[in-house]
Amino acid sequence: MCRTMSINLSKRILTALSNGPTRRNLFGPVDREQLQLEYQDSLRKDLEDASRRWGFDFLTETPLEGGDFQWEGISGTKVPALYRSCMVGAVEVLRPRGASGLGSAAAQSGKENIPRTPNRDSLKPQSLEKTPEKTQSNNQSNKLKRKQTNITDFYQAKRRVVATPRKSGQ
Amino acid sequence: MELLCLEMDTVIRARPDPNLLYDERVLQSLLTIEERFLPQCSYFKCVQKDIQPFMRRMVATWMLEVCEEQKCEEEVFPLAMNYLDRFLAVVPTRKCNLQLLGAVCMFLASKLKETRPLTAEKLCIYTDNSIKPQELLEWELVVLGKLKWNLAAVTPNDFIEHIMRKLPLPKEKLALIRKHVQTFIALCATDFNFAMYPPSMIATGSFGAAICGLQLDNGDQSLWGDNLTDLLAKITNTEVDCLKACQEQIERVLVSSLREGRRQQQQQQQEQAGPRSKALDELDQSSTPTDVRDIDL
Repeated sequence: MCRTMSINLSKRILTALSNGPTRRNLFGPVDREQLQLEYQDSLRKDLEDASRRWGFDFLTETPLEGGDFQWEGISGTKVPALYRSCMVGAVEVLRPRGASGLGSAAAQSGKENIPRTPNRDSLKPQSLEKTPEKTQSNNQSNKLKRKQTNITDFYQAKRRVVATPRKSGQ
Repeated sequence: MELLCLEMDTVIRARPDPNLLYDERVLQSLLTIEERFLPQCSYFKCVQKDIQPFMRRMVATWMLEVCEEQKCEEEVFPLAMNYLDRFLAVVPTRKCNLQLLGAVCMFLASKLKETRPLTAEKLCIYTDNSIKPQELLEWELVVLGKLKWNLAAVTPNDFIEHIMRKLPLPKEKLALIRKHVQTFIALCATDFNFAMYPPSMIATGSFGAAICGLQLDNGDQSLWGDNLTDLLAKITNTEVDCLKACQEQIERVLVSSLREGRRQQQQQQQEQAGPRSKALDELDQSSTPTDVRDIDL
């Protein structure tokens, strides 16, 4: 009872407001050239604002005179992989293969931008191993592995701790 | 024993979090920050030259229809309208780009609020392919820049549960009241007169209109007319007079949009049936309700 009543109100308002099919063009054709110009213009202005805000020319990657910030260069290896400029290229080179599978999966459900498990049939094991994330972080993960504590290290430490009182007791 | 892996196509949602909903500090924080996300000016007067209030209503109605048809989460539409108003308050826009802007705002709001957001392709189809997905993605960046990437705006919907738990409402009516309040909030978002109101006021006014409209105020004395307004005003620290005015405004908009809908329907029927049914229509029109209490909600 409640549900039918509630659906009624919103339905009635919606039908009252709407006219015709939802799929419709409201204000006539879009001026594509003008739109493109405005888009480029807007991006350029955003970039200029950002340059002024941070005192940095993002196109030439050089600090600007008289900004509020003091800029200091650091080696690319010291920043997380995410921030390295070479990443963009790497992703794009590797993407087509993996992306085709993801794209079709997304198209089927009609939704995008959601991580999903690809169909087992559509993706072979080899292509899974070549997902961009893994390839990029190979160097990084090797380094990490060396630093990471192994579970066996922990056992050794524990053994020592257990052993110590026994020694002192002797 | 069998091991089953079930991947269903249903939307998985979190349970209501009592830590968020039953903590007074959350409500107070919402009230403190809500003003930050209001459009900076009444833009039809000071920014826009090409577009007019009725065009905002057109694009808003279209957006509401798309959200309903796609079964978006309730807050997607009001949030998208918040983006649209904030953008229009700073960027003079031509009317032929208004639908593109509306689509971009839905795209962003849906991505922020939904586990399965609307796709660019789908939104373009809803514009009858008058825009291309590429253009939508480009303008997404433009809009994001103008909104300064501040997307987590406070909407009237954020207040619903906080207000609801402080009202002495019968448990079995909660779902119905919530639905009506959501509907009123959406209705307010289609009307520019509400664009500059704080979200908490729209939420409180919608509660007033819903409870009054559903005539739930027969039983509990604290839900009678002025008592209800006082109670609601206290919950969100709103001035009683402002709240009353807001609630009356919501009721007027409701009545007039239902009346407008009726008129359109009759027009269509008339076109189909020819001149003979005219007398009947006039009879019908006189029975159109003028008070929210007369409407059989």
